Amino acid sequence: MIISAPFRDSNPRLAVIAVLIGLGLSLLLADLWRVQVVNAEVYGGRDQEQSLRRVRIPAARGEITDRNGVVLANNRPSYDVALNLDQLGPVSKKQDIAAVAEADLTALSRALNLPVPLTDREVRNHYRLRRPLPLPVWKNLSTEVVAAFEERASHLPGVDLIVTPVRQYPFRSRAAHVLGYVGKAYTNDEEDVERFYYYEPDSVGKQGVESSCDEFLRGAPGGYTIRVNPTGRKVGDVGQKAAEVGDRVTLTLDERIQKIVEEALERAPLSAGKQLRGAAVALDPRNGEVLAMASVPSFDPNLFNPGVPPALVNEVLTDPRSPMLNRAIGARYAPGSTFKAVTLLAGLDSGRISPHDPVVCDGAMQIGKWPRPFRCWNTRGHGAVDALSAIKESCDIYFYQKGMATGVDAIDRTALELGLGQATGFDIGRELTGLVPTPAWKQTHKNERWWDGDTAQLAIGQSFLLATPLQMACLAATLGNRGTLWRPFVIKRIETCEGQMVRQTTPQSRNRLRESPQNIEFVRQAMLGAIQSADGTGHAAAVKELAVAGKTGTAEYDVYDKGALQGRIKRAWFIGFAPYDNPQVALAVVIEDADSGGHSAAPVAGAILAGIFQKKAETVTGGPANLD
Amino acid sequence: MKRYLDSLKRMDWLLFGAMVGLAVGSVFFIYSASYRGPGQTVPDFYRKQMIWFGVGLALYLAVALIDYRLICQWAAVWYAMAIGLLILVLIVGTRIYGARRWLGWGSFNIQPAEIAKLAVLITLSYYLFHRTPQQRRRWSTIGAALGLTLPPLGLIMLEPDLGSALVLIPIGFGLLYVAGVRARYLVVIAVLGAVLGAVGLPLAWKLKEKRTGRKSYQKERLMVFWDPDRDPLGTGWNYNQSLIAVGSGGLKGKGYLQGTQNQLGYLPSTVSRNDFLFAVIAEEKGFVGSACVVGLYAVILFSGLRIAANARDRLGMLLATGIVAMLFFHVFINVGMTIGLMPVTGLPLPLLSYGGSFVLASMTALGLLQNVWIHRRVY
Repeated sequence: MIISAPFRDSNPRLAVIAVLIGLGLSLLLADLWRVQVVNAEVYGGRDQEQSLRRVRIPAARGEITDRNGVVLANNRPSYDVALNLDQLGPVSKKQDIAAVAEADLTALSRALNLPVPLTDREVRNHYRLRRPLPLPVWKNLSTEVVAAFEERASHLPGVDLIVTPVRQYPFRSRAAHVLGYVGKAYTNDEEDVERFYYYEPDSVGKQGVESSCDEFLRGAPGGYTIRVNPTGRKVGDVGQKAAEVGDRVTLTLDERIQKIVEEALERAPLSAGKQLRGAAVALDPRNGEVLAMASVPSFDPNLFNPGVPPALVNEVLTDPRSPMLNRAIGARYAPGSTFKAVTLLAGLDSGRISPHDPVVCDGAMQIGKWPRPFRCWNTRGHGAVDALSAIKESCDIYFYQKGMATGVDAIDRTALELGLGQATGFDIGRELTGLVPTPAWKQTHKNERWWDGDTAQLAIGQSFLLATPLQMACLAATLGNRGTLWRPFVIKRIETCEGQMVRQTTPQSRNRLRESPQNIEFVRQAMLGAIQSADGTGHAAAVKELAVAGKTGTAEYDVYDKGALQGRIKRAWFIGFAPYDNPQVALAVVIEDADSGGHSAAPVAGAILAGIFQKKAETVTGGPANLD
Repeated sequence: MKRYLDSLKRMDWLLFGAMVGLAVGSVFFIYSASYRGPGQTVPDFYRKQMIWFGVGLALYLAVALIDYRLICQWAAVWYAMAIGLLILVLIVGTRIYGARRWLGWGSFNIQPAEIAKLAVLITLSYYLFHRTPQQRRRWSTIGAALGLTLPPLGLIMLEPDLGSALVLIPIGFGLLYVAGVRARYLVVIAVLGAVLGAVGLPLAWKLKEKRTGRKSYQKERLMVFWDPDRDPLGTGWNYNQSLIAVGSGGLKGKGYLQGTQNQLGYLPSTVSRNDFLFAVIAEEKGFVGSACVVGLYAVILFSGLRIAANARDRLGMLLATGIVAMLFFHVFINVGMTIGLMPVTGLPLPLLSYGGSFVLASMTALGLLQNVWIHRRVY
């Protein structure tokens, strides 16, 4: 038995312990409040950050159609065979995922009769970084392979057939330079990359309309959120947002006309051994809408889709003929005799040319102290010519003389008024501005004064003068519509996929010629003669029952290689409009290395206009190859 | 028999209620900690825990009803038994994660350290109870108390189980303090102990690292406390994930069985049901839930102090105080560790954490507390 001493007063030290415990528990509560209430969002965010993964779903790109709704670019399903590494059964930490996947891959490879395109490293990387996503093995499979897959391989573990939208251009190379192409965007906004753990890159427009309208075409990406455990294995879905299809872009192009233009250009008459390079632009002179824009050689934008062998793509990219270049806006040439229309207008306006004043052409003339005479393209001479016959026969001597009389300043002013030497404001691509040379320009860039000979050369569209085919088409359109310089455009309107209008282009006048209507009409009349008269240099562009006005040109261009003259090539030009009274089409055609405007470019224009107006071209046979 | 029934009626029902509340919570949240989503079988830890509570309840009643003075008479036996088991575990103990803490016979395992805590508590109380007030003021009493505490403490450290070893310190201090030892002596001891620990522990770790050629995980765990991002995928993992779990619970929590940190395994299942069960509760029930848990412990701890103040004799007062000190230390260290206030030491939460030995030890301790209350002074 324990004999305990009586225990009387309560111990004051117990109170101290009670206080200490009270303080301890209060400290815990206070800290719990700090962590769970004050900083709840911080930890909540970290919780989501580590367990939620957002996967981005790229949107299907919007359609591109011509003005009549003919689809020029849309999407087709691409069938890819993919492997879900997570479904290959339990994989322990020590196992190499590449080795585990190999059995599946070899079986697949045998069933589909395709070699395995993945390295072990790629498999491991995918497993480490994008484990819950399917790993695409073969992309863009043909229907035969898809059938083989369904029949022989779909039972394999973790194997899946996935369908992704791929850009398709149903008419292949038709209007390729206007449409552009798409590629995978590997350098996307960093903001997006940060927001999405698994980033499925978008297709991004790389040229033409695809590039200019990319923000509309690409749509809004969707995404889904999944929950993963610490090893990265997917354990559940949290939410999903469907991607929004991109907007539809309607172009001013007319697929029918585009086809006519491309085919006519392809059939341009060239002497043997010359490679066809050139461009053609057809505008509506009433508002600046581009009805067709072609550049040869061309390319098939479908080539840039995933699954095309890189060698094929490379071949196009490194082709010395630059098939990717849109020559209609991205190349500039001396306009040659087509510019005589400008010189004539400037001369009439300045009063230095009176329409019926004759000039006698004997094939050559002396200018200043230049050692060699300036020659007419027709070395036998045209005899006495007035303004109308000078345009019709494209007499150089007439324009040497009248050009010098008019003066460089007046010619330049009219050229600038007609839109040369400046950007047209075209809505896609990077256009070149061309050049209208002035005495000041020559002094700065060539360190030489402006000679009378320079003015004479300028008057026939040579000298340093440079213009793009689109600029020349605009010039033709301005003469065609009697004086309004429109901004050329190809994007007619943009609508959402439900048909709601996003943006509509209104035609925009850039300039109104200040030259008198009589003078403009006179130039138009002269151009009508150049085509309609049987002896006009541009008669090859004539079309039965259609009043075509126009002007041909042959710009000679010296080719140097390492300072040594290699030879001369001739740029063949045609500009014009039709029908004469109320023009609906303005046209510019250029062929980089041809015989002459009248022989090479005019027949192309004739074929184009005949096609557009559904009439027959007046086939001119046996004309001289060196027709201006 | 009737005597025992009468005794039962004198029980502190508030204390009993708080205990039952925590036990029920324990079963529910061990279930939640093992839950891995719908359709998946839940491991039966929660059932095992229920069995432990059943066994524990029997032990509780037995300990509560046999007069504590009788139990304490056997102090020397309990103490010798504890030392014996502590030595035995170092020789034949089951090695888990590099520590020999478990004595097992088949599927039945006990942790001698848990027995040692109670044995030291009883022995110290019994020893101090027998010192006269004059004797208690002397250094010799402190020396004897240290002599009783340090051997089991050293043996537990050798397992190693730093957390459990450290529990003996607040027990010892609490008992010496309420026994009336001069406070300034205790301060001297505390300062000496702190200096010794500050020098001794790093030295011990260094020696150990030299011997084993591996990093001491105890040291790493302490270092992580000072620098949580030190090794976020290794030692710092539990520290960070537990903090995220508690914090993301917010005010009201994500809901029962909705704790993602735990279910997805960010909070590893090996710790979520025992050392980090509080994180599971805090994540699923938010601040409201955590405050309830702290509240239940407050009920137990202050009841314990009330019992100490009303004890029939100094022995009862000492016992009750020692038990309160032990439980408080567990609660403070465990919750503090869960919310990043304390380093990760691996001390379980009384009554809540999964584990037979500690459930039985806790319930024995609470039984003793009831015992002191049942046999209190009655006016």
